[in-house]
Amino acid sequence: MAYDVNGTTVEHDEEGYITTLSDWTKELAGVIATAEEIDMNEEHWAVVNFLREYYEEYQIAPAVRVLIKSIKKSMGPEIGNNKYMYELFPYGPAKQACKIAGLPKPTGCV
Amino acid sequence: MLGVIYAILFYIATAIIVVGVAMRVRTYARTPAPLKIPTTPAPTTGWGVFWRMVREVLLFQSLYKSNKWIWLFGWMMHMSLWLILARHMRYFIFESYWWIDAVQFVGTYASFTFLFGLGGLLIRRFAVERIRYISSPSDVLMLLLLIGIGASGSLMRFVTHTDIVSVKAFMLGLSRFHVGHLPSDPVLLVHLALVITLMIIFPISKLMHAPGVFFSPSRNQIDNSRDKRHLAPWAAELEK
Amino acid sequence: MPDGAEEFRKMQHALDVPCLKPGAMEGVQPFKAKPEHQEKVGMPGELIPDWKEKALEKMAELGEKNRAFKVYLDTCVKCGACTDKCHYFLGTGDPKNMPVARQDLLRSVYRRYFTFAGKYFPWLVGARDLTEDVLEEWYSYYHQCSECRRCSVFCPYGIDTAEITMAAREILDTVGVGQKYSNEIIGKVKEVGNNLGLNPKALRATLEDLEEDLEEDTGLAVRLPLDEKGADILLITPSADFFAEPHIDGLLGYAKVFHEAGVSWTISSYASEAANFGLFIGSYENMREISLRIRKAAEDLGVKRIVFGECGHAWRVAYSFLDTLAGPFDFLDQKYPIPQHILEFTWDEIQKGTLKFDKSKNDDIRLTYHDSCNVARASRMGDMPGGQFEIPRNVIKAVCNNYFDMDPDTIKESTLCCGGGGGLLTDDLMDLRIKGSSPRMTALQDVTEEHGVTHMAAICAICKTQFSKVMPKFGYEMDSVVSVHQLVSNAIILTGSNDGESAEEETSDE
Repeated sequence: MAYDVNGTTVEHDEEGYITTLSDWTKELAGVIATAEEIDMNEEHWAVVNFLREYYEEYQIAPAVRVLIKSIKKSMGPEIGNNKYMYELFPYGPAKQACKIAGLPKPTGCV
Repeated sequence: MLGVIYAILFYIATAIIVVGVAMRVRTYARTPAPLKIPTTPAPTTGWGVFWRMVREVLLFQSLYKSNKWIWLFGWMMHMSLWLILARHMRYFIFESYWWIDAVQFVGTYASFTFLFGLGGLLIRRFAVERIRYISSPSDVLMLLLLIGIGASGSLMRFVTHTDIVSVKAFMLGLSRFHVGHLPSDPVLLVHLALVITLMIIFPISKLMHAPGVFFSPSRNQIDNSRDKRHLAPWAAELEK
Repeated sequence: MPDGAEEFRKMQHALDVPCLKPGAMEGVQPFKAKPEHQEKVGMPGELIPDWKEKALEKMAELGEKNRAFKVYLDTCVKCGACTDKCHYFLGTGDPKNMPVARQDLLRSVYRRYFTFAGKYFPWLVGARDLTEDVLEEWYSYYHQCSECRRCSVFCPYGIDTAEITMAAREILDTVGVGQKYSNEIIGKVKEVGNNLGLNPKALRATLEDLEEDLEEDTGLAVRLPLDEKGADILLITPSADFFAEPHIDGLLGYAKVFHEAGVSWTISSYASEAANFGLFIGSYENMREISLRIRKAAEDLGVKRIVFGECGHAWRVAYSFLDTLAGPFDFLDQKYPIPQHILEFTWDEIQKGTLKFDKSKNDDIRLTYHDSCNVARASRMGDMPGGQFEIPRNVIKAVCNNYFDMDPDTIKESTLCCGGGGGLLTDDLMDLRIKGSSPRMTALQDVTEEHGVTHMAAICAICKTQFSKVMPKFGYEMDSVVSVHQLVSNAIILTGSNDGESAEEETSDE
């Protein structure tokens, strides 16, 4: 199970989350997004970039509320709201966006 | 000769049912329940649990909640069985008691409700898709065995009367280890053979549900886990 | 949702019995645990060579250590009372999802090796050999049971399929076949302290962020204290309450209640998880290890009381097992129940008159309540049996004007599982989760038609996540499921809050 990024392969698990987090590149994000049937635009990238920054600092994805608050600050309330997040990432900003951002899947009762 | 064969069989069957059930019950009683798992809402006192068990055993409360048809047939069958057993007591003791005399009439006609209940259960085993799916041959045979016992008994009571005085003498003799004469009435012999079969398979079959129900932790535990610490012996070992 | 175009009405009536569809869910399996997940729960990494002997050994051991396992395997008479009681059977029609048939997958093997009849007359009593196919079948169908205990309510002997499922999962784990979802999570609890893997730094940042929100909303310093020694109350809540929607709103509700009640409380970063997935895999040892973290946190922080947040299976383990697994708690204040449920706490405060509400704040929604399965059938709240049904409803009615119960056959002790309990809340079982939720969703649709119900409240992290995922398939918005303490949070009037209009409204009403 692997993604193909311009000829190099990046391993992922059964659900499509990459197994080695340092393998992540912007190109890979595009490949994962394509597999998820998502056409990455500026708004998607804003989410992905925030997730990666947050992860960098805290080694875990942020709560959805924290993500939305940040996006609201940077891109305005039309984009920074729960409903719109689900339009961007139909399988949820936590799980699907994390997958594209190369973060591990949030586990538990979430 | 016939008397000797049946006498031997009765002794064996009695030993099997008594020893077999006692061993099973001992196993149940000695196996610890490591956690508190009463199905709630559950009684919070010992008396409460006692009443819960009474309602389960005498009224089939949970079954009633579940399915009125199974409850109707099952409850009729079991309650009739108690009456029939009570009525039969007089064949095993020298002088009858007042309560045995009292159930003679009802006990006699309980054979009809007994057979009616069993018939209903048997029909459901075949007619209801879900129950047909979960049935093994033994489940059907068990019903047929009980029907056979009930039918042969009713036949003797209502159609071809057997020499009941001799039967009683034979049974009383057995209890004094004296093998007497057993009438060679075919219906009687079938009836007794089926009863012996039932006694033998009791401890190795699902008939163990009768003592088993008293050991079901979801029904017999008190809901007091915040008040009294519950700890199984093997779990206590982990704390050392 | 991409595949949200499905028809919204799945069933005519919530408890409609489907025709049998043999094999409908055959082979449906969640991902298996990898060696690294298995090792953290103390189990072999992959299927061991002598799996058959070990599985039978384990089965014998369970028969000696657990009365329920022994008695339940022996006493079933196949009466059929349970056959139409499982939501997964109602939703899928697969006959192996009927409780008795699910038990029989294991009972048939038990009979073959441990009973006279099964040893000598296997065909007569439906006994069969243990093979690798049987193992696979166990893995599949024992992960289509949410251990909700609905069947045990209706069984004349109280046979609880959950006990058999847990035993089967434990046997599977013992031979190296574990479920990734549950076992990975147990590993995280042992390493980090919670199911999410939320480390103390991230937890602190999240709580501080939420405190900011609270202050913005209320103008008050409503706190979410972390690791504060000497606090009176240790709050143990599911880590989903720090992360997911609508769970977080429930957490804010607890904070407001504690604030208004004037008690000191704290969350622990070491025991930052209420849920105990050791239950799901039937492992006493894992369940105990996780419970001992709570004890240690309570001792280290020097608290007097332990209060649990809204979490269904957690409350089962807390209420029914905590004292067994990690007791005795003689170092806590014995005046209070050990442990106590947040709803017991809130209801006590309401009765004392400490809390004031503006119920009109919840007037935009019409509400029903989903009894979470493990709270309903495996625990209690308050002093009286059935308090687990009354107390949540009392609290809801104290904070909300429009409340309607669902079909009586689908609530309280007869409640239907949300479809995601017992370790099944994983994306790889989404199809099963949707099908399993359809009886509950149908009962909900009924009260929507009859009373215009718009929202459903729940007190379990799993229920909340499950419903927010499946409700869109049944014509509801994902935020139609709410925390009970979210409703409390909406309506509570905090003394001195700058949200003054509501307080004035309340006084002018009276």
